[in-house]
Amino acid sequence: MSIAARGLWLLGSIGVTALLVLSWQLIANYGGIPPVFLPGPDRAWSALVAGFSGGELAGLTGATVERMIYGWVLASLAGIALGAVIGSSQVAREYVAPMLEIVRPVPVSAFMPVVMAFLGLTGTMVLVVIAIGSIWPVLLATVHGVSSVEPRLVEVSQSLRLSRFKTLWKIALPNAQADILAGMRIGLTVALILAVIGEMLTSENGLGWSILQAARAYRSADLFAGVIVLGVIGLVSNLALQSIERYVLRWKRR
Amino acid sequence: MQCAANTKNQGCETGYCMINVAPLPRADAAVPLIAFHGVSHMFGNRPVLQDINLTINKSEFVCMVGPSGCGKTTMLRMVGGLQTPATGEVTFAGKRVAGPAREISFMFQDYSKALLPWRTAAGNVSLALEANGVPTGQRAARIKDLLGKVGLANHADHFPVQLSGGMQQRVQIARCLAQEPSVLLMDEPFGALDAMTRQALQDEILRIIQASRTTVVFVTHDLEEAIYLGDRVVALYPNPGRIAQVFDVDLPKPRNQLTTRESPSFLRLRRALFDFIREGEA
Ligand SMILES: Nc1ncnc2c1ncn2[C@@H]1O[C@H](COP(=O)(O)OP(=O)(O)OP(=O)(O)O)[C@@H](O)[C@H]1O
Ligand SMILES: [Mg+2]
Repeated sequence: MSIAARGLWLLGSIGVTALLVLSWQLIANYGGIPPVFLPGPDRAWSALVAGFSGGELAGLTGATVERMIYGWVLASLAGIALGAVIGSSQVAREYVAPMLEIVRPVPVSAFMPVVMAFLGLTGTMVLVVIAIGSIWPVLLATVHGVSSVEPRLVEVSQSLRLSRFKTLWKIALPNAQADILAGMRIGLTVALILAVIGEMLTSENGLGWSILQAARAYRSADLFAGVIVLGVIGLVSNLALQSIERYVLRWKRR
Repeated sequence: MQCAANTKNQGCETGYCMINVAPLPRADAAVPLIAFHGVSHMFGNRPVLQDINLTINKSEFVCMVGPSGCGKTTMLRMVGGLQTPATGEVTFAGKRVAGPAREISFMFQDYSKALLPWRTAAGNVSLALEANGVPTGQRAARIKDLLGKVGLANHADHFPVQLSGGMQQRVQIARCLAQEPSVLLMDEPFGALDAMTRQALQDEILRIIQASRTTVVFVTHDLEEAIYLGDRVVALYPNPGRIAQVFDVDLPKPRNQLTTRESPSFLRLRRALFDFIREGEA
């Protein structure tokens, strides 16, 4: 894309956002919706500013982000490790794949009562739920990436007499890196959603909990401030992962 | 004296008379390093190779020529342990080839698929060193030396997508050499190279294998290249693939791009091979 086209694109997207915020303001002011349910962007913004200057909102954001990242890292590591084992063995694939297909579509919310029964309404329980929910995209992507190595490269590895482990480490896993990164990006979104739901359920400190409190107390401005922060977390983490992806996968670009 | 020689005479069915040229003295010529014993092969119910018998001695440079689809790659894969013959057997150092061996290096015809796309040229050469257990500290110098030999000193940091086909072929050559094999199996290794680079690499390969006494089996479509490089040229017929004729190359070594190619023996051999191939196609 040329610089001019890029600038135009940016201008356009800023314009659309401005238009949306403006219509939000108009609906809040003249739409007849009581302000206890719908604050305008002006009130949401001041709640945001007040929350961050008081330090409270920053603390809540930190707690949720920490939870999300811990759960996601746990899920990613476990997903890559399990996926590597399953993907690199034909036998494991044949035995485990059907089971994966049965378990995968079960919503994480169905697992929650089980995890709760073991761990109670605790931070650990939230972490485990996040990990269970966000492991799937990484796990399945790793299985696929590890088991779809170009046959010629398999022969290169045989020809060099690479051990099973070295083949996995030097060929199969690098071959899966694009899949793994894409899976991790989906997993991160799932982790954020589950962190918020987990906090709502357990009253663990964090944005999810504070949003629920704000809703119960009809503090709609605070509620919207929390939702905006969640949106920003999602956006920033996605952009960060995208740029990591661009760097790691630079060998794909001509 | 009108035509080329064949000491292991396959018969004069093509109408050529054979002159016997004294075989070049080789220290261990008596030991067949690689041997095909009555090898036949089918893919599905299509016969691809039929009753191949061929022995290759240590330090010998054998070129294989023949029309597309006559089974050259398949034969090479059998030596490399990547393909098991349906009938007969291929032996290496007297033992049946049951799988790939580290001292045999395979250079694949489809060079763009044979490199790790996520590794740079240097990283791809490094793979062979890692496989051979060369300590990390010694790799960089070896890689630099090898990439220099194939004329890619300035492209060490490039990923395969950033390299031309000919450059990718050369990375694969460097990787094969890094393996320090005693046998090099090369499947049309210079196909994507321009004439100048090709000649330079022909000489480089000859120099390297002369020094290391490596045995080479080399597939090419270029008859002159086959004569220039080879101690013997094996010509195959297609459908099913079978050995039609083995030409001994009685050209002095070291070979020279100008004098060798202009020498009467070279021209005579070239003529014989061309006529022979044309006859096979007719
Ligand atoms: N895996 C396979 N499955 C089925 N048929 C195959 C397979 N590999 C090769 N063939 C067939 O066997 C024959 C010989 O193939 P091979 O690749 O050895 O030919 P080649 O002499 O190397 O040809 P080229 O000069 O085009 O590389 C061809 O007809 C090919 O179609
Ligand atoms: Mg071939």
